[in-house]
Amino acid sequence: MSALLDLFWLFLRVNLLTTSGPASVGLLFQETVGSLMTGAQFVEAVSFSSALPGSDALQLAMFIGYSVARIPGALVALIGTILPPTVLMFFGVSILHRLHREGWMVRFITGLIPAVSILMVFVAYQLLFSDSQSGLGWKTILIAICAWLSLHFKIPPPIVLLAAGIAGVLIF
Amino acid sequence: MKKKDQFKRSIKLFWMFLKVNLLSTSGPASIGLLYKESVGTIMTESQFVEAVGFSNLLPGSEALKLALFVGYASGGYIGIIAALIGSILPPTIVMLALVSILERIKEQTWLQGFIQGLTPAVAVVILMVAWDLFRDGKKQNYRTIVIALISFIALLVAVPSPLVLFGAGILGLVLLR
Repeated sequence: MSALLDLFWLFLRVNLLTTSGPASVGLLFQETVGSLMTGAQFVEAVSFSSALPGSDALQLAMFIGYSVARIPGALVALIGTILPPTVLMFFGVSILHRLHREGWMVRFITGLIPAVSILMVFVAYQLLFSDSQSGLGWKTILIAICAWLSLHFKIPPPIVLLAAGIAGVLIF
Repeated sequence: MKKKDQFKRSIKLFWMFLKVNLLSTSGPASIGLLYKESVGTIMTESQFVEAVGFSNLLPGSEALKLALFVGYASGGYIGIIAALIGSILPPTIVMLALVSILERIKEQTWLQGFIQGLTPAVAVVILMVAWDLFRDGKKQNYRTIVIALISFIALLVAVPSPLVLFGAGILGLVLLR
C-alpha cells in the first residue's frame, strides 16, 4: 500500500513541476531509475510510449507504474498524472483566466523551462554513459549520430526510435 | 430534449478524442489533428489558440490539458469528462496489451539488442527536446541563462531534481519581472 502511495505522490509531483509530456521525461528518469526501475527498463518505457498511439505522457506513466506494482501500479500512476490538470479544469475556466493574467504563474513556468532543459541534458548524459556496462562503444556513437541526423532532417521520432532499435538487434 | 442534445454532443466529443488519440503518438502531434477535428465544428479558432496557450502554461501533460479544455469549451463539465475518458482509453488499452506481450518476449536475446540500440537514440531525442524547449522560452535573456547555470551546478552537486525545478520556478518569480 505504501508503495502505491509513493508512486501516486511521485506522479503528482512530476506533473505539478512539468508542463508537457516530453519535459517530464527528465524528471521521471531522475526520480525512478536506480530506485524503482533500471535504465534499460526506462529506455524501453520511453520508446514504446512514443511509438505507440496515444498520449506519450500517460503511457510512460502507466508503463513505469506497471513495472513497479503491476496493474494497480499502472492505475495509480494514471490517476496521479491526470489529477492535476483535471482538478484545475474543474476549478473552472474563470480561475484559469486569472492565472493566465497573473504574472507570477507565467514567471514561475518561465523559470522552470531552463531548469527542465538542463535536467534533460543530464539525463541524456546518464543514459549514454553511466548505464552502459561496456562504456561508450563506437556502435552506440554511430546510432547516436544517425539518430541526430535523422531528427535534424525532421524524420518523426517514433520512426527514428524504431530504426535505432532494429539497428541494435543487428549490430549488438 | 436539452439533455438529449448534451448526451449526443458528449458522445461526439468522446469519439473525437478516441480518434485523435488512436491516430497520433504524442502530445505535440495530437495538436494538429485536434485542430482539424474541432475548429469550425465545436469551437472557434481563437478559442483553440487560447486552449493551446493555457495548456502550455499549466502543470501536467499538455495533450491532456488541451483535451480537457476543448471538452469544456464545447460541452461544459460533461464535455471534460467525455474528453478525459476518450483520451485515457486508447493509451491504457495499448499499454496493457504491450506489457502482456513484453512479459512473453522478455527473455529473447534480440530484445536486449533492440534496447541497446534504442538507448542512444532516446538520449538524442531527449537532448533535442531540451534544446527546443530552451530555445522556445519566450523571455529568453541573460536571466534564463543564469537560471540554467544555477540548475546545472545544483544538479552537478546532486541536489534532488524536483527541488532544482521548484527552485528554478522561484528564481523565475524573482528574476523575470
